[in-house]
Amino acid sequence: MQLLQVQGIGKRYRQGELEVRALADVELTVTEGEFAALVGPSGSGKTTLLNIIGGLDAPSEGKVLVNGKEITAMPEAVLSSFRLFELGFIFQAYNLVAVLTALENVELVMVLQGRPERERRERARHYLELVGLGKVMDRRPSALSGGQQQRVAVARALAAGPRLVLADEPTANLDSENATALLDIMYKLSKEEKTTFLFSTHDARVMERAQRIITLRDGRIESDERREQSSHARALA
Amino acid sequence: MSTSTSGDSTRTTGGSRLPTLIFMAWRNIWRNPARSGLTVAALAGSLVLLLLYLGLVAGMTRQMVDHATDLALGHMQLHRQAFVDDQDLYATLPWNTLKELETAFPDLSMAPRLYASALASAGDASNGVLIKAVDPQREPRVTRLLEEVREGTSDLGPAPPTDAGLPRHHVLIGAQLARNMNITPGAELILVTQAADASIGNALYQVAGVLKPIDPAFDRQGVLMSIAAFQSLMVMDQGFHELSFKLKDVSQLDAVQAAVAAKVQALTAAQPLDKLGGPPLLRNWRQIAPALADMISMYDGVVWVIGLIVVALAALGMVNTMIMAIHERTREFGVLRAIGMDKRWLLVMVLIEPLLLALISAVLGVVAALVLIKGLLKDGIDLSASMPDGFDMVGIVIDPLMPMQLEPMHVIYAALLVIAITMIAALLPSWRVMRVKPAESMR
Repeated sequence: MQLLQVQGIGKRYRQGELEVRALADVELTVTEGEFAALVGPSGSGKTTLLNIIGGLDAPSEGKVLVNGKEITAMPEAVLSSFRLFELGFIFQAYNLVAVLTALENVELVMVLQGRPERERRERARHYLELVGLGKVMDRRPSALSGGQQQRVAVARALAAGPRLVLADEPTANLDSENATALLDIMYKLSKEEKTTFLFSTHDARVMERAQRIITLRDGRIESDERREQSSHARALA
Repeated sequence: MSTSTSGDSTRTTGGSRLPTLIFMAWRNIWRNPARSGLTVAALAGSLVLLLLYLGLVAGMTRQMVDHATDLALGHMQLHRQAFVDDQDLYATLPWNTLKELETAFPDLSMAPRLYASALASAGDASNGVLIKAVDPQREPRVTRLLEEVREGTSDLGPAPPTDAGLPRHHVLIGAQLARNMNITPGAELILVTQAADASIGNALYQVAGVLKPIDPAFDRQGVLMSIAAFQSLMVMDQGFHELSFKLKDVSQLDAVQAAVAAKVQALTAAQPLDKLGGPPLLRNWRQIAPALADMISMYDGVVWVIGLIVVALAALGMVNTMIMAIHERTREFGVLRAIGMDKRWLLVMVLIEPLLLALISAVLGVVAALVLIKGLLKDGIDLSASMPDGFDMVGIVIDPLMPMQLEPMHVIYAALLVIAITMIAALLPSWRVMRVKPAESMR
């Protein structure tokens, strides 16, 4: 089943006197349960495309449908609610709320969803255990390492039960060991939870695990390669 | 239960977001304890200043009203119209009016008074004086006039006769008059006047005491004597000029005034008065001293205007705090918007922060003001070193000891004012979060 359809997306913006074309005629479909990587050099439009797919930015042309719903036509309030219930975000810079503990950060999206306290507390604990942070869930982000913060972000994205998780360079700020551990966790959870993942990355380790690699160059899709699972991924699965 | 809709899907949600937003706001305000502390100090300080000012003005106005009602006016007064207009000596009410009213209103205290002018002389000094005659038994039930003796005693009874055997009464005189005529208690005073029967009334008196400054006019010219002494001097016993009333419960003033006025009207109908003196006129203290009543109302207005300015200046600190807090957290607001927080909830969370700061400031400000007013300043502000006799304001002499009085409603209004102004000041910078664009703010 097609979960994501990107149809003729283009994005232009002005930079001083110049008009910059960040994306042009991007066509893309992602089916449910895929673990797909969006790769390309810096400035190729990966983050812009993810932002548009996530409803964080508006395209200059084209449309995006998630689960058959055209998010590019949604009013802001509906789009906000759509993001809350259907999408999960993992950012390069972790972006946890500084005044909340790891547990509270994971709970936050579920609070906004209006889930009962007991349910959200149980889910938050469960996902923090899954990402290996059971012993530090009462710490605030400032007391966690970069790898731990990104795992909290993964738990936050998944605990809310999204259909599609958008991850923008999730391993860019992590050392090799932490990056590998995080990718293993994400891959495992994606399979267990049947959640669709779309990454932007230029990390070879991410690409190694991805079932599909979509390459962007100068705002256009250069290639879209589906492939067999890597041996690493097979081992994890 | 709340319902959330996205596209064609509808979800029912049961948990409340508000406690979490309050919790986050509380944590956020302590991200920068020094900045929040300074903001609270400024707001609480402005509230303390406002409450001190309110307490001082309330204490002063209460003292003015108490002076006016307890020392001279009473809560209500009954006169004839001609006495009010022209101080007509003959515009009196019959004595049986007093008896009838005392019977009809046993809970009301009443004191009759008579007035005249005369020429006073003592030794080589002479001075025009205003005579006020009171009933030494009834007057203390209505006013504290006879307690306000600076020197000597408050005895208004007969004095020892002169060496030549002439009868004398005791009188009390105003402080300024005593200074002007160089009179001390025990001195002899001669009063000469035109009596009610057009004869020349004159008599000898002994000064029993000197009154404290109460009313500027009486202080300069007043001679207080008993009604018996007045009647003897003025050859006038048909009635009284003024009947002063004191209520047990001042909050019932309007109702009591209406009841007494109806009774007076009934008495007048049963026993018609002469036409020259005009109809009886019953007025409460606000009607008798409108300048005082107006000034109290004006003070109330001025105090709140000044309070508004003080609090508004302090609230500028809140504007700065919110501008900085929002500027520093723009990225976080972008993240919250990205993960699905509605911008209205974001605004609520941001506005809870100044609300919490304002509530903390209100509590601290009220506590500090109470400690100051009920503790350090419980005896009032003493100005006796520079103004030993107090000062005159719209004909009322104010004590040099200025009491502080904090009305519960003033405390509530002042705290609400601080909260309201703070929220208004915070609204404009906070509104910026409504325009946060997630993608831009996270770049």
